[in-house]
Amino acid sequence: MSSRIEILNDGGYRSDGRKQYELRDITIDLTQQGTADGSAQLTHGLTQVLVTVFGPREAKMRSQTLHDRAVLNVEMSVAPFSTGERRKRSRADRRILEMAAMIASTFEPVVQTNLYPRSQIDIYVHVLQQDGSLLPACINATTLALVTAGVPLLDFVCAVTGGVHSTSPLLDLTTLEENDVPHMTVAVMPRTRKVTLVTMETRLHVERFRELFELACEAGQTIHREMKYAVKDRTVALVNAMDAGSKGGAADDHDRDVVMDDRI
Amino acid sequence: MSSVLPGELVPAQHVNLKLGPGLLRQSSLNGQPLVISTRAGEVHHTTNRSRWWIEGNSRRYVPAPQESVVGVVVGRSGENWKVDIGSSHTATLDGLAFEGATKRNRPNLKVGSLLFARVSLAHKDMEPELECFDAQTRKAEGHGELKGGFLVQCSLKMCRMLLDPNHFLFPLLGSRFPLESAIGMNGRVWISAKDPRQVIAIARCIEAVDPDGGGMDEAAAKKFFSTLDV
Amino acid sequence: MPRPPSPSIPEKEFVYGALKQSLRLDGRAMLEMRTPTLSFGPELGWVECAMGKTRVLAQVDGKMVKPPPERPLEGIISIHSELSPMASNEYEPGRPTEEEVALTRMLDKVLRRSDAVDKESLCVLAGQRVWHIRLTIHVLSDAGNMVDCACLAGIVALKHFRRPEVEVEGDEITVHHPSERAPVPLSMHHTPFCFTFAFFPDAPPLVDPARLEETLSAGLLSVALNAQKELCVVQKAGGSPLPAEEVLAIMDIAVAKARELDRLVEARLQEDWKGRVVEVR
Repeated sequence: MSSRIEILNDGGYRSDGRKQYELRDITIDLTQQGTADGSAQLTHGLTQVLVTVFGPREAKMRSQTLHDRAVLNVEMSVAPFSTGERRKRSRADRRILEMAAMIASTFEPVVQTNLYPRSQIDIYVHVLQQDGSLLPACINATTLALVTAGVPLLDFVCAVTGGVHSTSPLLDLTTLEENDVPHMTVAVMPRTRKVTLVTMETRLHVERFRELFELACEAGQTIHREMKYAVKDRTVALVNAMDAGSKGGAADDHDRDVVMDDRI
Repeated sequence: MSSVLPGELVPAQHVNLKLGPGLLRQSSLNGQPLVISTRAGEVHHTTNRSRWWIEGNSRRYVPAPQESVVGVVVGRSGENWKVDIGSSHTATLDGLAFEGATKRNRPNLKVGSLLFARVSLAHKDMEPELECFDAQTRKAEGHGELKGGFLVQCSLKMCRMLLDPNHFLFPLLGSRFPLESAIGMNGRVWISAKDPRQVIAIARCIEAVDPDGGGMDEAAAKKFFSTLDV
Repeated sequence: MPRPPSPSIPEKEFVYGALKQSLRLDGRAMLEMRTPTLSFGPELGWVECAMGKTRVLAQVDGKMVKPPPERPLEGIISIHSELSPMASNEYEPGRPTEEEVALTRMLDKVLRRSDAVDKESLCVLAGQRVWHIRLTIHVLSDAGNMVDCACLAGIVALKHFRRPEVEVEGDEITVHHPSERAPVPLSMHHTPFCFTFAFFPDAPPLVDPARLEETLSAGLLSVALNAQKELCVVQKAGGSPLPAEEVLAIMDIAVAKARELDRLVEARLQEDWKGRVVEVR
């Protein structure tokens, strides 16, 4: 039999060297991609996702529009090279359709769709590399893409996975851990601390669920911090670029009313 | 009153014979006109035997002129409103077909509003048309937008029963609390009362007495009504 | 595909107003489920579950097949669900609508991925013959909450089904006809039940939403668990955000309901089993 990799060893270290509640490295790239209105590339450790947003724009099919709101249309495609073994997944794969539907319904109450009746906001999710925590990566990247597209949002949506190994909760799982322990995905809105998405497909006792759920909500706050820094950096760069163009070099401090409030 | 199935002969004979819904006149082999039924139901006729019709039940409404219906606004096309009345096509309602409406002063309807209107044109080849006033007198006669209240869906037979002044249900409910209703011939009834509990009680009674959903008679309905929390 | 007509404004306003006072359209309490009526067919594994006007038919049959090379020691369970236009005005044949995808995925998660049936017990001859259990779900009528009804019909059908007894001697397999030897029930690890909660702005959550309540809800939360307090599936796919405490409170309600439903299902299965005459020759 092959050697079993320990999910959590006696020293408190996981298979990739992290501690129990440690999240993987997050890198966020908000540079503009092609003609998209907004785009974001996010990685959680080895899971890499690229999301592009187009909209609000005129709907392709008039019959699909709503008279008082915009329609959120999410399409997801998983690259065949994203997993260890090359596998082409069709567009109509039930799992992918379900994930796309979950992303769409997560953002329905968050995006202010009532400002754009009879139009459509298209969100295209491309999965480039998968190593666990796929749905949270897609949700986090979608939030950032919508922010860069300038679509009005009520709050960020930050998601993370959590699992329980015997009685110890773990956060931000890799593929190895997801295949082994019962796990769940939780997405929260950090300002109000309310939960927008919870999914779990593996068996877990109610008491363990309670602990893990509360932990995952807290982890959402950490993810929110990272996302905030990335957005702020980009906004500062944009503001500088705007100033440099109009003023022609000399920095006029008293004309700058950009307030970067750390309390937000 | 006998009940018939489609295709049975109905002995309808009169000098000025008028056939209502569910009956068809056919000419037989020896040239004599025959009347056959095309629907399942009870055969009814007037006392002087000049008008015959079949009383059956169904759920899908087929528009007929001069019938009052309850419709839901689903959109606009130009100056007209598109209204869903449960028939095979959406009906159109002219934006000016209301009492006291002029080009400058139109009623402000929204998508999703409920209307009590009359079918002015119902031809099998065209979309049905509605109007919210009497074309001759230009008065509303009770038609127009229905605000508040709740909508109940029932079978067509139930609507006809509710419109019958001798039916027991509404007087029974009305003796307990005041209520308002607009009964559409298309299987939709709008009801309104002060307390939501009363509205829920009316809705449940209508569903219970509906021939499709059990068909309670008067005694059973009285018992059922007394168990409801009003 | 045309969109289904949304409810009229008076209906919306009335439902929201009534729910603020904890009044439901069919007179139920907020946390009251429609009592499921289970009827069993003449064959074993044929169950019709009715919750109010929502009716779902589930049927189980099994046949022996050669297992795939990567899993030679486990049986196969496949679930086929169909949402025909018979169920409601809004479903069209052919193309899977959003509701159909949601139903299929939920059934898959609750009945197959939660390991309700012991797959290893379905193995007859390793690498050669295993049982392939097929569960077919037909939604006959959708008056709200067909997911819960379908999951219940499915799990009861799996518990009701009996497969023929098989004898293995070396490499020889003998399948005994039900009239020779009593058929054997499927070995189940646990019995998951699904409960759907709908929540609205300014109103407490309610259980087992009816059609109008489902359409007008601000969000739905489905919880599948067994009577031993183990959660199998939790699904809140968007909808308006809920504070964490409310989610945990809903879990507690679901735990109580699961116990009740388990008792009801066991009682019905016992009743039906007594009514069937098993001939022993």
